[in-house]
Order: sequence, then C-alpha cells, then structure tokens
Amino acid sequence: MKKLLKHLSPLAPDDSGACSVLYEMGGVTVICDAGGCAGNVCGFDEPRWFTKRSALFSAGLRDMDAILGRDELLVKKLSMVCEQIDARFTAVVGTPVPAVIATDMRAIERMAEKRTGLACIALNTDGTNLYDYGEEMAYKRLFEEFVSDEYNTVKGRVGVLGATPLNTGELTADRIKEELSPEYGSDIICFGLDSGIDDVIRACECERIVVIAPSGLAAARYLNKKYNIPYDVRGCCIDKKALEAAKTLDGKKVLVIHQQFTVNALREQISGCEVTCGSWFKTVAAYKKENDVHIKGEDELVELVDNGSFDVIIADSFFRRALSTFEGQWIDLPHFAVSGRLNKDI
Amino acid sequence: MTEAYYITAAELAKRSYDDLPDELNSSKHMIYSSPATLDFNSPGAKGFGVKRAGLAIPGSVMLLIAPGCCGRNTALLNELGYSERFFYLMLDDTDIVTGRYISKIPKACAQLLEELDTEPSVVMLCVTCVDALLGTDMERVCRACEDLTGVKTAPAYMYALTREERLPPMGLIRKSVYSLLEPQKRRSNECSIMGFFSALENDCELYSLLGSIGIKKIHELGRCKTFEEYQMISRSNFSLVLNSEARAAAQDMQSRLGIPFIELTRMFRISKIHNQYALLGQALGSELDDSEYLSRAETIVQTFKNNHPDAVFAIGESLNADSFELALALTEYGFRVAEIYGTVGERNFVFVKKLAELSPDTRIYSNLSPTMMNYEPLKEVTAAIGADAMYYHSDIAGIPFNEEQQPFGYRSVELLFDKLDKALSEKEGSAK
Repeated sequence: MKKLLKHLSPLAPDDSGACSVLYEMGGVTVICDAGGCAGNVCGFDEPRWFTKRSALFSAGLRDMDAILGRDELLVKKLSMVCEQIDARFTAVVGTPVPAVIATDMRAIERMAEKRTGLACIALNTDGTNLYDYGEEMAYKRLFEEFVSDEYNTVKGRVGVLGATPLNTGELTADRIKEELSPEYGSDIICFGLDSGIDDVIRACECERIVVIAPSGLAAARYLNKKYNIPYDVRGCCIDKKALEAAKTLDGKKVLVIHQQFTVNALREQISGCEVTCGSWFKTVAAYKKENDVHIKGEDELVELVDNGSFDVIIADSFFRRALSTFEGQWIDLPHFAVSGRLNKDI
Repeated sequence: MTEAYYITAAELAKRSYDDLPDELNSSKHMIYSSPATLDFNSPGAKGFGVKRAGLAIPGSVMLLIAPGCCGRNTALLNELGYSERFFYLMLDDTDIVTGRYISKIPKACAQLLEELDTEPSVVMLCVTCVDALLGTDMERVCRACEDLTGVKTAPAYMYALTREERLPPMGLIRKSVYSLLEPQKRRSNECSIMGFFSALENDCELYSLLGSIGIKKIHELGRCKTFEEYQMISRSNFSLVLNSEARAAAQDMQSRLGIPFIELTRMFRISKIHNQYALLGQALGSELDDSEYLSRAETIVQTFKNNHPDAVFAIGESLNADSFELALALTEYGFRVAEIYGTVGERNFVFVKKLAELSPDTRIYSNLSPTMMNYEPLKEVTAAIGADAMYYHSDIAGIPFNEEQQPFGYRSVELLFDKLDKALSEKEGSAK
C-alpha cells in the first residue's frame, strides 16, 4: 500500500516548511489548528524555537469553531495579538482542519488586513504535503507581497533562497555564508535565516540570487522575471563527515538521498562511481540526471534499493529502518526534515 | 510590546470562575506555543499523549491514520523504544476531503500485521482532527478491521479540537485502553489503581496501607508486562481513581464489569492527605493507620523549613501536581509563592480563593497567553517547581517534578521536599 509507512515515521510536512520560512521574518504567524500542529512545529520541526524568539501561535481552534466556521473569531484573536506584540505583518498557515472545512484563506487575508491594518498572507498548506511545498509557497508569497522596487542594485550583494534548518541542518547563516563567500563575496543575505522582512523588502538590492534548495526556486524565478535578478542553483551545507567519506569512494555504485540540490552538489564531489540521486522531496526536471529518482513512498525506497545493487548508500540513517536488508556501506547524511537531526548533532 | 499578563490571587478570587479574564481563557486568545508549554499544546508530543498512551496495553501496536503533520513528532517516541510499534497510513488532500481512506484501513491493518513476527494483542487505530470533523464511525471501522484480520482493534481518538469537551482526548484514551478488559470473577482481595499510564512511585504508602487491610494484589496498567497481566485487572474488587481524567474509564468499567470505584486526589497538604485516607478507610470498612507516614511527612516539611526558611517559589503546570493546590500547600507551610503559571479550571478555582486569603499578591500567569513571549522572571524567586517554571527561571534552583513514576499521598510530599532540598542546597553550595 503506497501510503502505508511500516518502518519510517512521517517526514516534515508543508505547514512546518511554511513556518520555517516565516520564522525570523518579524510577523505574527498563526497556525490555523487546534494545537497539535503548532506543537509539532515548535516542538520538533523548528529547532530555532529554543534559541530565537518568534511570534508563532496556534489559533487554538475548538470543534465548534471549525463546525460553525468562526473566521471572525480567528481574526479577532489575531488582532488582539497584534495589539500585544510588535508585528510587521501577519501570516496564517493552513493545516488539515481548515482544509477539511474548506476555509477561504483569501477571505481570511482580507478580513485580517482590514482589522489589523497589517499586510496578511494566508497559506493553503494542509499538512498532507511535504515541507518543501510549504516553503516554496511561503517564499513566493513573501516576495510577491513585500518586495519594493524602490531600491537599486547594490554591487556584490547576493541573496540566498532555501536557507532553512529543514533544508540545511543549520540554525544560523554562518556556514552558508562561509561556503558561498569564496565564490560570491561577503555581502550575502540568507532570506529568513539571520534576516527578516526588511531584507525581503529590499530584495531588489541583490545583484544575484543563489538557490540552495528546490523550495527557493519559484521565488527566484519570480524575482528574475519581475526584477531581472539572475539566479544560480547550488547545493551547500553537506555534512562534513559524509563529504569526506564520499570523496574516498571509487568504482562503486552509489545511491545518494537528500533534497535535490544537496545530492547534486555531493554527486560532483564523488569521482569514479556510478551515482544515482534520489529525493523524497520536489525534484526539478531541469536539475535531474537520467537515472535520478523521486521517491514517493517507503515501498518505492525498498524496491529501489533491492533492485539497485548499490554498494554504498549516502543518506540519513533514519532510512536504515526501512532498509534493514541492505548489506553495503552506509554513509550518514543527516537531513533535518527527515530525522530532525542538525549537522551539529552528528 | 505588552508585558506578560498576570493577575494576583486576590484580584482573581474576587471574580467568579465564570468571569475569568480573557487572558486566562484559552478560547479567547491565540495560544502561545511557549517552549514551556509544549506538553499542553501538542497532546501527542511529550510524556503520555494519546499516541503513547494508546500503546500502554502490553503487546499493542498503533496505526496512525492521519496527514503526515499529525505523526511527525512521533519520531520523538522512537527514542523511547516505540519505533517497532507505530505504523502510519498517510492521508492526502483528496482523502481528507472525501474520506475515501476509511475503506482502506482494514487492508492497512492486514498489511502491518504481515510485518510483525508475533501477533499483537490489539491494533490501536489512532485518528485525528480530520476524523473528528468527518464524523468517522470508528467503532464500525474497528469491527471491519477485526473481521478482516481476526485481531482485536480499538480506537484512539487524538481529537485536539475537543480538548475542552466533557470527555477530552486524554479521558477518551483512558477509556479505550481499559475497554479490552473482559468480565471475570472478581476477587475480594484485589484492586486496581487507575489514573496514570505509568505506575505509582514504588515507595508510595498507598501500597502498604492497602496491604494492611488485606489487599493482596494491586493491579496497575503501568506495571503490566503482558496482555495476560493486563486482563487480570478485571479481577479487581474495586478501583481507586487517582486522576479525574480516568473517571469515564472507571464508570465504563463499573457498568461493563461491575467494578465500583473510589476517586482520590493527589494533594500536598498533609492534613488533607490524612483526611482523605480516613475517608478511604471508612469507604472500605477498615481504618487505615497512616500515622507513621504522616509523622514522616511532617518531619520532612519541618526540616526543609529549617534549611531553607526564605525560599520563594515559582510553580508551573508541567509537573505531577495541581499547581494551585501545591501553591496553597506551600503557603500553608509558611513559604512564599510569588508566581504560578497555570490553567485555572472549575476544580482548582477553590484553591485560588483560599490562596488569596494567605497570599493575595501571588501572581497568576497563563502559560498560553501570547504575552508570555515578553515574560521577565521575578528576581525574588529562589526555586522553580515544574519543567515550565524551570524554563522561565533557568538560572535558579529548580526541579521538574514530572517524572514518569507517579507520586501520591505523603510520599509525594516527601519526594517534593527531598528534591527541593537537594536542588536548593546544590545551588547554594555552588554560589559559595
């Protein structure tokens, strides 16, 4: 059965991805749920929760709120928070509850803007998709809503999209900047990681955008189309131990699993091997090689490995639970959206 | 930016329970998922939430039927050794709109059973807000699964939407985990303790007191290692319910199995503990001699007072106590309680009123208020009790007091003051 997980637990969902992008933006973010989804985000998928403060709340919906569709109450509570907390904008993140009752998120946006006087973005996540879907949606809406064309290009400034802990396993932008600076200089802004909404507003100052995960691609394309800002695609933040181990491989058949731009970057570091890249997350055709695979479920992963004759798997060790019969070499490549492990935890 | 909202005990006591300020009423504001309150805000996140509680039956496995977001944090339970007992049927957006997945659940059960080396005692079907809204008839789904697989199947309702209902998720799951008990001949010298998913702390005097009146076997879910041991629970002559969330389960056992129950409360006021044991003795028809335990608890409190006469407390709600009853106990013992982070309910409003008489200036905060983002700890507090209070007061002595083994009776007083004494002495020692 395609959607049955017999060995793995669920990967980071879309609402977590949306919250990850919004986390440091300086807005009031409301997860439109009963409490459980917010608990999952704050208690598991958002490692910055314990180090960086953010105005992230649960709507605290109750059964009658959902049954009667009390959108007015939601907006009233949102306006109360805006009176208590300094906010630059508001955001409402969807979960299964508004999806089941078909909440009109556009209407919520308009009602919230009218009541609070602040811009609002409401995201139609529903907890059934994976985190990259929510990240992509959040990036795109943020840039569509807030970028101002009043700013001129600043020579040498580079903006990074896709810089979230879920993609990179990093809590700050330090390592991303360190890795990108030899190629792109020192004026680097990682949107949403050690940077807030002001950098989004001033995105036109960027001379170039670097996209480090597929979730940032739609926003980069938007900035390119509307403001003529060119973009590069490049993986970064590969776990150092995994990278060193991968470099020593020779003449092997290797399977690498992570988000697409990370696996592509790692592939470039492996020589003399036949490398297949796989991802559970968005796989962009333009950056995919012939044998690369998009993994849609646990059974597919098992089938891929059973039939692939791989000597080496480079992937989060979380997947080993489903691949207990694999007898080759396993190189651990942590992915926060998979196992909830940061690079520093390894 | 507004400072963290609080109300003093005196101000709150002047109002009635029906007239709580909006900031203390979680249905009137957004809920701040403070790192201190994740236990509350995610019923499946920590401790015994619905998911872990559903696996309290020995030999059980669980199929979580939900969108991926509902099962994400279950990875935390892997660390506790549950990874082989959880299975997931992931729902997509069409599923949650049409409910088409319901017909696939029996097949998913059959497939997960193929993965197991031994047949589980029961398959718990855990459902979430989606099914709460769709109104899924889980009794019927369970029957369909049993018909296909021949294995017992029971529902676990993780309905966060109904948390403030008469029978909230943690009440429902208690009912579910006792629902597999079958009628059998009751034994006059056996009883059960209900209320928690883990057992009482080993040295709790309740065991000895019950033993002193001829009870030979005390059944507890948390001590059952096998399904056979679990089934023995229905031999109990009576049940002691130590947590009101187990009341519905006890009522169900009374009507289905004929086992009556007596409700007891966890308290920290020694005189009240003594009264409660006296009343329990009357109900059971035998006097319970608790003098030894009473005297020991009194000594421990007095010793603590001698060692730390100026202790000032902050009390949270992520702990094995009612925050307000504990605050009242400490105040009656002569200590100062400066702050409480708690949820005022109908049951504990009575403690607020008494507290107001003894300690009118005690500040009462709601962990869930968005204004708690701006909370600044009071400098005069010297000891924090509860995981949340320790989060707020990270630089002073503190005890989480939220261990899995459950404290009760005089033993809870003993444990509390013993742990506090150690924490304060350690802090004082390191400060010298």
